[in-house]
Amino acid sequence: MASQSDAPVPQSQNLNDDLNALSVDELDRLTQNILDETTSTRPLLSETSPLSVLREEYERGSGTFLKQIDYLSSKGYTHLRRARGDGDCFYRSLAFAWVESLLTSQDSAFDSSMALSLLESSLPSLEAAGFEGSVCQDFYDELANLVRRIASPGPNEPPLTPSTLLEAFQNPEISNSIVVFLRLLTSAAIRADQDSYEAFLVHPETGGPITAQTFCENFVEPCGKEADDVQITVLTKALNFNIQVAYLDGRSSDGTVNFVEFQIAPPAPGAPPPPVLLYRPGHYDILEKH
Amino acid sequence: MAVSTRRLQKELTEIKTNGTPVGIKLLQADNFESWFLSIEVLGDTLYQGEVFALKFRFDSQYPISAPAVQFVVDDYYKAPVHPHVYSNGHICASILGSEGWSPVLSVISVCITLQSMLAFAKERKRPPDNDGYVIRARAPENPKKTRFVYHDDEV
Repeated sequence: MASQSDAPVPQSQNLNDDLNALSVDELDRLTQNILDETTSTRPLLSETSPLSVLREEYERGSGTFLKQIDYLSSKGYTHLRRARGDGDCFYRSLAFAWVESLLTSQDSAFDSSMALSLLESSLPSLEAAGFEGSVCQDFYDELANLVRRIASPGPNEPPLTPSTLLEAFQNPEISNSIVVFLRLLTSAAIRADQDSYEAFLVHPETGGPITAQTFCENFVEPCGKEADDVQITVLTKALNFNIQVAYLDGRSSDGTVNFVEFQIAPPAPGAPPPPVLLYRPGHYDILEKH
Repeated sequence: MAVSTRRLQKELTEIKTNGTPVGIKLLQADNFESWFLSIEVLGDTLYQGEVFALKFRFDSQYPISAPAVQFVVDDYYKAPVHPHVYSNGHICASILGSEGWSPVLSVISVCITLQSMLAFAKERKRPPDNDGYVIRARAPENPKKTRFVYHDDEV
């Protein structure tokens, strides 16, 4: 780890330089810095911090990033919940956003029991994909437990609250088991529908074609392998969960941020807007409005 | 109960109930930190008649993190002479690294993979960098601390 700084500030000679001017190697190094600096020091998932903190981190760096952060503020986004940069950040952020949306839903008892039956009904698909039931169960239990504590907490069990939810996601055993379960769910969905997905799969390192099986074994199931659009599409579909991804990539010419909707079902009338994950090259956090 | 204990109990029950695949034997599993198994390759292979012992070590994050696996080298057991196995017993196999390990794999599936690695060996020789890795004592005690460069994609 080269830097003690907490911030992924591009170490550029020219203060107005932005990511467009960086070579692929430099971009990789920058991404690696985010990963190195956040691995093992940060909580797996943090308390929210104001967007101004993120802005300060880019003040000495890229002008485009600053404009894009200001754009997010102008759209009403105020806080960032950071995930550790360990390659599991997409799955962890998505899982948290999913359970949190059940917890804060206006009809959380109903929504969480629907979610619980959705999880239960996913178990046969995992077995069909070749994962042993008893192996999946341990990972499944951790996620299902959280949802069940919203739907119908046991008599001696404290119901889930925002703070106990965060605690659960900071506990490596629970948090990583949930990440694994979502990885298996994603893999099973890809394996179940290989013909549809294979056309969209590219080898993340070579850019060449790749079979669904190799893709799943090497880039979905192992922990630490970052998710790409295919995994995001598949997983949001498997969870029946709408999200948006905001791309803070330093590449916008007018300082706006591109929001991409991964929308599975039309949102119910009056439903809150879907959670937003904030993407920076190689990393996902959760973007919030408080 | 730690994730690793829960999983290893299940694996142990499975082994005790259904037995192990042909050529794989459980030698010792009396705690949830390290297990010993033996493997041999049956049939017409370069290792006919040889029995090897594997030592598995688990941390509390197993099976999310890979087990540390090596061939036992002592007065009785030797490491197989194989292009992916160092003479100190360390193994260069992608499924044992963070790249290839996945939490759905198990002790037995690792044994099966290593068995087939031996079964398909074309020649008995050590990895080209064996002396550098082993003899000059640069190898860490735990093979998980080594960043292997995989010699080919077959394992």
